[in-house]
Amino acid sequence: MLPSTSSATATTPHRRLALHSTTTCAVQASEYGKCILKTYTDIRKDACKEEFAKFGACLRTAMRRKW
Amino acid sequence: MLSTVARRSLNLRAPCRTSRHFFASVSSSSPNPSTVGPFQVFDRNAKRIQKNASVTKDNGETSRVVDYVRDEVADRMIERLMDIKRKFNTILDLGSGPGHFSKMLDTTNTEKVVMFDSSEKLLYRDPDSDFGVEVERIHADEENLLQIVPRNSQEAIVSCLSLHWVNDLPGVLIQMREALKPDGLFLGALFGGDTLFELRSALQIAEAEREGGISPHVSPMTDSRDMSNLLGRAGFTLLTVDVDEVKVNYPSMWELMDDLRDMGESNAVIGRRHILHRDTLAAASAIYKELHGNEDGTVPATFQVIFVIGWKPAPNQPKALERGTGQTNLKKVL
Repeated sequence: MLPSTSSATATTPHRRLALHSTTTCAVQASEYGKCILKTYTDIRKDACKEEFAKFGACLRTAMRRKW
Repeated sequence: MLSTVARRSLNLRAPCRTSRHFFASVSSSSPNPSTVGPFQVFDRNAKRIQKNASVTKDNGETSRVVDYVRDEVADRMIERLMDIKRKFNTILDLGSGPGHFSKMLDTTNTEKVVMFDSSEKLLYRDPDSDFGVEVERIHADEENLLQIVPRNSQEAIVSCLSLHWVNDLPGVLIQMREALKPDGLFLGALFGGDTLFELRSALQIAEAEREGGISPHVSPMTDSRDMSNLLGRAGFTLLTVDVDEVKVNYPSMWELMDDLRDMGESNAVIGRRHILHRDTLAAASAIYKELHGNEDGTVPATFQVIFVIGWKPAPNQPKALERGTGQTNLKKVL
């Protein structure tokens, strides 16, 4: 395994996304994941829209960019 | 094996350039999924480019770091070769890569090994001094085995984790049987259908929930039940098929994806999406962890491996007896 996402020197956008989605926004990620866990046997678009909105907002703040 | 991830290009320069920081692997002549036949599942050209790129990166250092899955499986495969009490003059290692399996051979098994791979860079990654036996390397496409190797010429053909990128698996098995001498051995290991099921499901759920649809990111792989049928149909006898698993824990989905790319195992399914949206990726990472994560915070990845042994028929070969001709009552024995 490569020293990558967990290091403080996450330089590329891909690495930063990896870092923020697993550490900075871990709480929101977990909330979203738990919502999916409840519904994944009958998954449909935007089933966990609210939870993802919070997760996404956290990511956009951490990444300091919009997409 | 897994999907391409690319930064959305801001000014839509086409075609996407392959950047080594991303999973992008756009083959220049990527086949159109609606114009290829039913046996064309994988983009072999993209696969060759990915494999070559994995070796070019950091002079092959990253490629060596991710040898762990293949080395483990090669080690288990050597055990199976040891069970065969026969010494070979040459063994053909089809889809050898840098020789994970070939490197473990020594002069008690064979005098010489011939490595055969479609990725030139991978084939020549490691020097001859790493091998215990004489090495010959052939750079050619595994799917066209019989164009390179004459019929009835090989004592043994082995294949360690390369057949999952072959389009026409039944056809390649038949070519192998043809290339073997009578009573020749085929020993192989290939990824089974449960391989990377965690990643497959996480990406599918993320895509369905975020984008409302799914696309292939993890290849279809052979079911273990199909392997004996395929070998039988290809004309091998005295079959042995068994299934094993290698489980690896990663800090998160991201490290798994990085490692798969460095193994040259990025997605090469024809008609794959070259871009995974950031939101979908982040969602997949969260889902992977909640759905499959370990208690210590790491996430597991399963590599299911199917080991197969088959022999080319020969008149002097021992054969299974007719059904019902047994003389001993097994009830008494057991």
